[in-house]
Amino acid sequence: MLRKRITESFGAAIHALNTAQLTDGVINRSKRMILDTLGVGLLGTRTAVFNKALMYSQMFTSEERSTVWGKSDIILPPHFAAFVNGIAVHSMDFDDTWHPATHPSGAVLPALLALAETLPSQPSGLDLLLAFNVGIEVQGRLMRFSREAYNIPERFHPPSVVGVMGSAAASAKLLGLSPAQCSHALAIAASSAGAPLANAATQTKPLHIGNAARRGLEAAQLAQIGLEGNPAILDMDSGFGVYYKDYTPSAMADSACSGFRWTLENQNVAVKRIPAHLGMHWVVDAALAARAKLENTVGYFDLSQIRHITLRVPPSKYVNCPFPATEHQARHSFQFNACSALLDNKVTVASYSEAQINRPALKELLSKVKMETPKDNQPSFDTMYCEAEIETDEGQSYAARCDTFYGHWRKPLSDKDLVGKFRVNASSVLSTEGVEGVIDVVGNIERVSDCSILGSYLRMTSSSHAQLYSTRVL
Amino acid sequence: MISTLQKTIRPMWAARGLHKSAMEVLKHPAPEDTVTASFGKFISEIKPQHLSSSVLHRSKRMVLDSIGVGLIGSTTEVFELVLQHCQHMYAPDDISSVYGRGGTRLSPTLAAFVNGVATHSMDFDDTWHPATHPSGAVLPAVLALSDMIPSNSKPSGLDFLLAFNVGIEIQGRLMRFSNEAHNIPKRFHPPSVVGTMGSAAACARLLSLDHSQCSHALAIAASLSGAPMANAATQSKPLHIGNASRLGLEAALLASRGLEASSLVLDAVAGVAGFSAFYEDYVPQPLESPNDGHTFLLEEQDMGFKRFPAHLGMHWVADAAASIHKLLVGVGPGTVSPAQVQEIQLRVPKSKYINRPFPESEHEARHSFQFNACSALLDGEVTVQSFTPAAMNRPELLALLSRVHVEHPHDNPANFNHMYGEVQVTLVGGDILKGRCDTFYGHWRNPLTDESLRKKFRNNAGVVLPSEKVERLIEVVEELDRLGNCTPLLSQLQ
Repeated sequence: MLRKRITESFGAAIHALNTAQLTDGVINRSKRMILDTLGVGLLGTRTAVFNKALMYSQMFTSEERSTVWGKSDIILPPHFAAFVNGIAVHSMDFDDTWHPATHPSGAVLPALLALAETLPSQPSGLDLLLAFNVGIEVQGRLMRFSREAYNIPERFHPPSVVGVMGSAAASAKLLGLSPAQCSHALAIAASSAGAPLANAATQTKPLHIGNAARRGLEAAQLAQIGLEGNPAILDMDSGFGVYYKDYTPSAMADSACSGFRWTLENQNVAVKRIPAHLGMHWVVDAALAARAKLENTVGYFDLSQIRHITLRVPPSKYVNCPFPATEHQARHSFQFNACSALLDNKVTVASYSEAQINRPALKELLSKVKMETPKDNQPSFDTMYCEAEIETDEGQSYAARCDTFYGHWRKPLSDKDLVGKFRVNASSVLSTEGVEGVIDVVGNIERVSDCSILGSYLRMTSSSHAQLYSTRVL
Repeated sequence: MISTLQKTIRPMWAARGLHKSAMEVLKHPAPEDTVTASFGKFISEIKPQHLSSSVLHRSKRMVLDSIGVGLIGSTTEVFELVLQHCQHMYAPDDISSVYGRGGTRLSPTLAAFVNGVATHSMDFDDTWHPATHPSGAVLPAVLALSDMIPSNSKPSGLDFLLAFNVGIEIQGRLMRFSNEAHNIPKRFHPPSVVGTMGSAAACARLLSLDHSQCSHALAIAASLSGAPMANAATQSKPLHIGNASRLGLEAALLASRGLEASSLVLDAVAGVAGFSAFYEDYVPQPLESPNDGHTFLLEEQDMGFKRFPAHLGMHWVADAAASIHKLLVGVGPGTVSPAQVQEIQLRVPKSKYINRPFPESEHEARHSFQFNACSALLDGEVTVQSFTPAAMNRPELLALLSRVHVEHPHDNPANFNHMYGEVQVTLVGGDILKGRCDTFYGHWRNPLTDESLRKKFRNNAGVVLPSEKVERLIEVVEELDRLGNCTPLLSQLQ
């Protein structure tokens, strides 16, 4: 069989990519991703799933210790720090989303920060940034190997497929592995990939990201001590190809040549404004706009006016949930998010608590919802739209459509709003000094000589907060 | 360490207590009519009295073989590598024992991991139909978990065996959900798919989780399943079993802490894949309640045990080639010389990952029809020693390998229940010798006798343990279902 040497090209690229190749555009975008991921992770340390994982992880001890974000006095073995921090990042579905669809940062950053803390000489901020971008780049490349990856998933949850590969690549980069070892890291990681979509919209979904981070790091470390896997893992249908129905891999261009462009440069990520599946952002913006139309026309807004609500959405079973019973289901429900928007005129972090989910007024609205999946509405984050139409008792109709929500890659959050989101999230666990410290370090990361300072800020909890909120379930 | 142990154990026993009181108050709703719920119910309700004497006998053979294979596996390079990794990454944790390493203990999931790797490190472990290696995914986890349970509440030998059999049974049931599972795999390595689920089920049983927690353990495990076939025949393959064992245990422990996952993970839901993600065709069936008269699959479908450390398919061609070796060598001692051989034809099923004309590593050699046929032709048998570098690099062997042609007859399916292996040697003089094997000795249709199994165990275990321990292990496993406490088993493994 003629080897196409695709895996080899990835190993070579991971090894060879250097800081000189980081463009201003990529540096800027990836720093925003890092800040957003940290904020989302810090907020996530208050969730029930995080606490369960933390309790489990505390069974393990090691000499090497890594920071648990938002905890001043708990340290864990690096793998488990990566695990719980990754879970925190995805615990509220508040983390970044890319196209083709995955949540790229949560699988990579926790592994890198945990690993960095154990290295004998601390990497610089630029080293960290480079490794981070390598992890993102590999994910982007892998997703372009199949058409299946371009649509909202049905079989495997993408972070569990490409995320672990990105984490392995990033960790291999930070460890300075040889090209062959980088290839083996990918091969070993491939055997840890693939979690079924059915666990999305459940409490276990965040573990997909936590495990991607953890097991990618593990794969790189096993490769470092000489474990080998299949050196053609990306080339073969029976290798990485098993996760896709169609699979056409291609080699990564020689990173030394001038033609190399980071995928992130061509395709930005979406940053979420609400802690819910990305699709919900469209329906919320549409519902808010329809509500505004009604209110502007009639002069006031009253729930009792509403006879029907029609939502026109792309077909996607796992985010079609008429009566969510848990916070996880609520974050994956077109119906719930539309009705929350109508009821409260906003959707926020607080919208998903048990009390909010069980409001009789909300349930009544939910019973008035009808779903339609127009043929021209494809289940792709790049092309989908949502329409919300409110039909009143008087027979009037108020409809609005959202093609691109604010935060989508076509309409990115301003730096001010991104930092604002971080501040709100991080302040739930960190002191002001910690919050501003992180903003400062990440903002200037390419000039930071020793990135361990980031860890110390991530541990600067506001003590009164720690007491009040350490075990509160969001 | 003890305090960590107590801290860990308390929540689980609390869960048990909660189960009882909750049942009394009937707060839990009746289980839904789903396949997933039926599995959870089965795991939580199955009892030792549901084990027939045949299942007890067969599973004890599996336990013995698995331990032996794990013990010899502790001498391999890949085992050493993962053990070092665990010891470097984590502090010493005096809980669960590591096969064959006196005084070395690890955290339970890590012990399950390394012992699982040991078990599969030489491809010497048991194989079932539909195809998987069931014991290596389950036994290390059950052992590690038993080590974790405080000494005053250790499971009895029967509880241990019950948990083990639950782990095997669940794997068998899951494989019957698809036609794809019945053939030699092409996409996902089966132990990585069903093994993790079996380990989770076994551990959930040993922890006495309630039916809902058992279901969630399976669902959590599903997100930890699945590794591609491409890593078979590489040094990473044993990690598939190691990880299945480790992650299944982890899933059960997380479920015992209340982590929840999909309650439809085993059911077929259009547009949202659960466990079905790993198969092209998938038709799940609910498990009936054990109280309605349950027959374990092991009763109907026995296990295959290997006589030498290589992929199961190799056993057919090895036996076929060995019969030709006998003809060539005749009555007296003698050797087969490549000079005698003009051509070798192998007629085997079509399966890419075991078709390797010139294997370059021990892992590839264990997955090569050509290598195993030629070794058996030269030596009359394939043994543990056949895969050493010295044996692999013999000029006579390489000479024979270069004369092999492989054919895939239409009537030879890639299926361990129906395949055959045929070897045809054309001698330089023109004579043609043929050997055919339909059922090798060790296959479930022609099982190893108890004596052969013990002999294999002695050869394996004896490499790392003194003979008193070896014999003691044989005794302990034999009387396992009569032991009030499984500690005698746990204490003999290193």
